[in-house]
Amino acid sequence: METIAAIANGFMALFKAGGDTFTAFVTGIIPLIIVLMTAVNSLIKIIGEERFYHVAKKATKYTLTRYTVVPVLAIIFMGSPMCFTFGQFVEEKYKPAFYDAAVSFVHPVTGLFPHANGSELFVYMGIAAGVQALGYELGELAVRYFLVGIIIIFLRGLITEKIYLYLKARDGRRKTQEADHV
Amino acid sequence: MYKPVIVRRGSGGWGGPLTLVPTEEKHKIVSITGGGIHPLAVKIADMCGGEAVDGFSHAIPESEILAVVIDCGGTARCGVYPRKNILTINVLPVGKSGALARFMTPELYVSDVKETNLDYADESSVQAALLRTEDVDAVHKREDLKRKIDAARAGQKRNIITRIGISIGQIVNKFYAAGRETIDVVIKNILPFMAFVSMILGIINASGIGTVIANTISPVAGTLPGMLVISFICAIPFISPILGPGAVIAQVVGTLVGAQIALGNIPVQYALPALFAIDAQVGADFVPVGLSLGEADPDTIELGVPAVLYSRVITGPLSVLIAYAASIGLY
Repeated sequence: METIAAIANGFMALFKAGGDTFTAFVTGIIPLIIVLMTAVNSLIKIIGEERFYHVAKKATKYTLTRYTVVPVLAIIFMGSPMCFTFGQFVEEKYKPAFYDAAVSFVHPVTGLFPHANGSELFVYMGIAAGVQALGYELGELAVRYFLVGIIIIFLRGLITEKIYLYLKARDGRRKTQEADHV
Repeated sequence: MYKPVIVRRGSGGWGGPLTLVPTEEKHKIVSITGGGIHPLAVKIADMCGGEAVDGFSHAIPESEILAVVIDCGGTARCGVYPRKNILTINVLPVGKSGALARFMTPELYVSDVKETNLDYADESSVQAALLRTEDVDAVHKREDLKRKIDAARAGQKRNIITRIGISIGQIVNKFYAAGRETIDVVIKNILPFMAFVSMILGIINASGIGTVIANTISPVAGTLPGMLVISFICAIPFISPILGPGAVIAQVVGTLVGAQIALGNIPVQYALPALFAIDAQVGADFVPVGLSLGEADPDTIELGVPAVLYSRVITGPLSVLIAYAASIGLY
């Protein structure tokens, strides 16, 4: 009888630890996120997507802004996955690189703007919770994650652009060769 | 010979039943599941006389798609296709969820579908399916009319007090809508994930598996070469699309690494590079979908997928190096 009771206690302990973690998440993370997300969502509604479209459309022309300003704004304004619809304003040959830049920012954005990707918060928050448990402030980590994210999506955009153009050129050559054979 | 097929939801599923009526122009079953064509897509194509296609390596014009087969865990893909009015069959038991949940209707979406849930459709359900397509057109027309009426109303002049009243009302409404949207996301996406993570963490911590993980993860994730290796593995072109969906794996690993940081097994200054090391595969599963959202041509998608995947092999480890350099002076 005692053994069964001990097993039952051990079994419950597994889930009690989980319950404590859940309480910590709900009381520690949710209230701030709700208020922050509401504020940013209202701001976006007041500014209006049309105005943002106008600015971002122009910025797709230049390499520097195409892989930095445009994806960052698209994600903040439209969130994931609607931000990728912005590819329609990008020139056809730059679309894969634009996608790569945009999708690589859906996690760095969550430190400062959790509304943009509410369902994937734990990539950042999982690690941030550990940092917080040691008593450090999260502000600096969030800002650096955001800024390093911008640098990396820019490089990713450049490198993917080069690789795509190379693949396309090679594919073009292959197709002409095939055409010659026929 | 084309045959209409009816697709019902599985035991844990939602939505449906969908009636697929293949025609000469519209008979392709596109499998967007990573790792080749899903057997369910092959089975459906076989039954209806259509063709199963791998949506990752071939881009299909939307007008030829009869239905898509996906394995979405409930974040993005499950809503993307219903939004485009494409019939969507999810092999996973996922209900109305994710950022585009409002587009998911039982007329467009069905989940937890297994091969046993397929059946040949009888005449009456085919008629109903055809009627529904017409209904959609009618709805579009109605919306169009409503827009015209609204535009006409906006053209009328109003006095200043009415206008102030209306604009205050509009702003308050926007705040309210923002709040509702937020609570929606918290309930539909954030809380379920918290429940899932809490359960895993609880079991890991209370059962002693935590010590095993600490002994294996910490030496790897706690050094720069170790993190470079992690990011490289995540970025290998045939692994990255499998690790991608819903960022579930990145989120679980992130939580585990976070727990090790809290215990002091991984130095806290490695938090920033670790964020990039576990995320080299971000969106690798989503390339064709993301590109088609950006209205890319089928040709662009076909070469765009490998371009992004190859690029990650370089930029994955590179991002860890940059983040490592950028974490100097942090904590």
